[in-house]
Amino acid sequence: MLRYIALRSLVALFLVWVVVTVVFLLLHLIPGDPAELLLSTGNIAADPAAVAALREKMGLNEPLWQQYISHMAGVLSGDLGASFRDGASVIEQIALRLPRTLEVILAAALIATGIGVPLGTFAAIRADGKADAAISFFASAALSTPVFVVGSVVILIFAQQLKILPAGGFVDFSEDPVEHLKLLLLPAGTVALALLAVIIRMSRASVLEVLQRDYVRTARAKGLSRGPILRRHVVRNALIPVLTVLGLEMGTLIGGTVLVEFVFNWPGLSGYLVSAVDARDYPEVVGIVMTISVLFVFLNLVVDVVNALFDPRISLVTS
Amino acid sequence: MSRATRRLILPGAIAAVIVALVLLAPVLPLDDVRGMDIPHRFAPPSAAHWLGQDEFGRDVLARLIWGGRASLFIAFGSALAAAVIGTTLGLLGGYFRGVVELLTVRAAEIILCLPPLLLALLVVTILGAGTWPLILALTILYTPNYARVVYAATQQVRGLDFVTAQRAMGTHPLVILIRTILPNVLPPLLVQASLVVASAMVIESGLSFLGLGVVPPTPSWGLMIRAARGAMEVAPLLLVWPSLALAGTILTFNLLCDRLQSALDPRSVTAGGALWLRPRARSASKPATRPAASEEAPLLEIEGLSIAVNDLELVRRVTLSVRPGETMALVGESGSGKTLTGLALTGLLPDTLRVTGGTALYTPREGAPIDLAQLDEEAFRALRGTEISMVFQDAAAALNPVLRIGDQVAEAIRVHHALDGAAMQARVVELLRHVGIPDPERRARAYPHELSGGQRQRAMIAVAIANNPRLLIADEPTTALDPTIQAQILQLFAQLKRDTPGMGMIFVTHDLAVVAEIADRVTVMYAGEVVEEGPVTEVFARPRHPYTAALIASVPEGGAERLVAIPGAVPSPHKMPSGCRFAPRCTHAKPVCTQSAPRRSHPSDTRLTRCFRWEEVT
Repeated sequence: MLRYIALRSLVALFLVWVVVTVVFLLLHLIPGDPAELLLSTGNIAADPAAVAALREKMGLNEPLWQQYISHMAGVLSGDLGASFRDGASVIEQIALRLPRTLEVILAAALIATGIGVPLGTFAAIRADGKADAAISFFASAALSTPVFVVGSVVILIFAQQLKILPAGGFVDFSEDPVEHLKLLLLPAGTVALALLAVIIRMSRASVLEVLQRDYVRTARAKGLSRGPILRRHVVRNALIPVLTVLGLEMGTLIGGTVLVEFVFNWPGLSGYLVSAVDARDYPEVVGIVMTISVLFVFLNLVVDVVNALFDPRISLVTS
Repeated sequence: MSRATRRLILPGAIAAVIVALVLLAPVLPLDDVRGMDIPHRFAPPSAAHWLGQDEFGRDVLARLIWGGRASLFIAFGSALAAAVIGTTLGLLGGYFRGVVELLTVRAAEIILCLPPLLLALLVVTILGAGTWPLILALTILYTPNYARVVYAATQQVRGLDFVTAQRAMGTHPLVILIRTILPNVLPPLLVQASLVVASAMVIESGLSFLGLGVVPPTPSWGLMIRAARGAMEVAPLLLVWPSLALAGTILTFNLLCDRLQSALDPRSVTAGGALWLRPRARSASKPATRPAASEEAPLLEIEGLSIAVNDLELVRRVTLSVRPGETMALVGESGSGKTLTGLALTGLLPDTLRVTGGTALYTPREGAPIDLAQLDEEAFRALRGTEISMVFQDAAAALNPVLRIGDQVAEAIRVHHALDGAAMQARVVELLRHVGIPDPERRARAYPHELSGGQRQRAMIAVAIANNPRLLIADEPTTALDPTIQAQILQLFAQLKRDTPGMGMIFVTHDLAVVAEIADRVTVMYAGEVVEEGPVTEVFARPRHPYTAALIASVPEGGAERLVAIPGAVPSPHKMPSGCRFAPRCTHAKPVCTQSAPRRSHPSDTRLTRCFRWEEVT
């Protein structure tokens, strides 16, 4: 088991290195001068002398490999540099905003799993019936509606028309816990809807597959009734692929909540990224992309390890 | 036209209408998408403007159609570009493998390390917003998807005989790839393409919504939603139209993808659930007509039992009986229907199969005999484990991989007996010891994969006998095991038989050596019918059916080998011979054998055969 985790961690580390390098190279090899961009306002070209001075200050004149080494050294020591825009420490900004993004994702995952697994299981039990058709269509529709559409429409309904929830914004939990949770509800619910669709489909397919397994027949041969068979034998085994997909989806979401954060004015990590992209603030973009990729890879690692714990066969196969 | 194909029509037609609308946008009588009409901003729907006017007084319908054109152009453009690049990479990687695979498929997969929206944002950062940067970003994003799908399909196809043959003939790899492999990987490619179109639209509209995609004044659904958000209080409908258009179009392509998948690959659709989970439809068990059990009554008496899938009879009028304490061997080649007969007795037949006739009278510990052919799931459940129990062939598959052995045994006990923790633990260990599992305290905590094949089968047997069943059905319990282990498991069955005198056993096997060792009587099945039945010693000494005789002759002297094939094969249920089902393979066949089916004959009180010529044959 330990060997398995160690091996998977090594692969994960390698992937992180690849991503960091690729992002660095992408941003530095592509034409476009951040110093010039930073100094120009509107359509007026920047003063060449000022641009040269800024390039020097930002270290953009050094050879690429030196920039790469100092960049990697910074990354390793936990220093992601300072923002071009306001000189703020990038790592501090990330530390401030990342938990907010994770909060939305975790809340969404809880909602989606809590509703999705029972619904998907039910659809599988009634496979090809009316309930199954309804649930499956709901899942398809939810999956097909982009988050920003869902977000805009729920604001229209709950904030604009019914006026029961705030349209967006953020209050720190320590300041006003109730308001914080009220503000969390719509963004988390919006993310949850898309996640729900994935979980319903996955649970349905997974339960259908497990129902055909020999050990389910054995459970029936024991004389067990439906409830225990479903709980102990079907759902427990069917959950393994569902959790895998949930983990992967959550990884995707860490970078994918951009739209939700934008729609609900939620000051998380992704919104920060959009403004960084807009301003071509390289240290910020590289720092955020790296954080998200590391989390993404780390989450995949966790998914694999949790899977191995859940399914005792995996550790044996790989070690 | 199959159901899967019919289900394609609706999403296919809608998709065609959407594509036609946006293609025809320049020739349709639409308003100018940029024609502002400030006095009529936010005007509601009217005859001139069916969907109303937006914040600049522009016609919403025209902008919706032209916006769709922008969206679909980007989605289809990137789907196509990614398809071409991804397919090339996948074909090369899948065909040549090795270094080529590393440079193509594996390299493309690095892209999958980044969350998709993030990657698109990165590209936009570098290239700026606009239609072409979007297409490039989406192309990069979806190339690995195609590469993976095509890679997997290519690997499958490349191993097939006709590809190997072409390689051997020296055909150029490029020709093989294009002429032979590409057409074969087209179906998964098509599915992938519809998926990518839908998913590209999600990302394109999202970026446009953020102001990082399509640049105004070009209309786009994402931009329309963005603008409508600001005017939500004044004109909520402005938000509804593009939202509906966007979600509807994506839904159409997603449905198209799903249904394409099931139409192209029917195997991917799992057969519908499990009937045993549904509320009952079948009538409850009828009380048996037979008088109360006398001393001599059999434990189980099957008469004329038939099992069918749709209208195809797989088991036909089987007759079989087991007395208390007796072991009945049910013998035959694969496809003879012996396993189905066993499953029918516990109500565990696959959903597609039904008992279509006959009776199977079972005499329980208390009460009148029950007809197993009439029982519903609930009634079967009360019998399973405690009255009738089953040992399955492949213990590795029949045990739940994620539950400990001890828990799986305990679960079987708990169904019929309430025992507290310590007592349960003691009973589990006792059972495991009884079936010969060494160190049972420790093994009880093991998972199935941690045990050897033989131990797994012993655990399976412990589960089956946990509630002292009166009838044990063992379905080829030794087939999956090594010969030495087989012998040990057989000894275990023999020991169980001695230890529990009243227990009847049906031992399903294709191995006559096993029959000789364990059974009291034997029923021989062929092509879904019982062809011979009688006491083991008598049947072995003097078989009364040519099939039995051939089976016995094919067993090597003193060996426990598998059956050596009798010439020919068991006929398929679709093509049953009209006369005697064994006639085509029978060395004794006469014209009469192919003209009509033989009835049951009784050479003696204890024997049965289904052969016209039993008197001459033996």
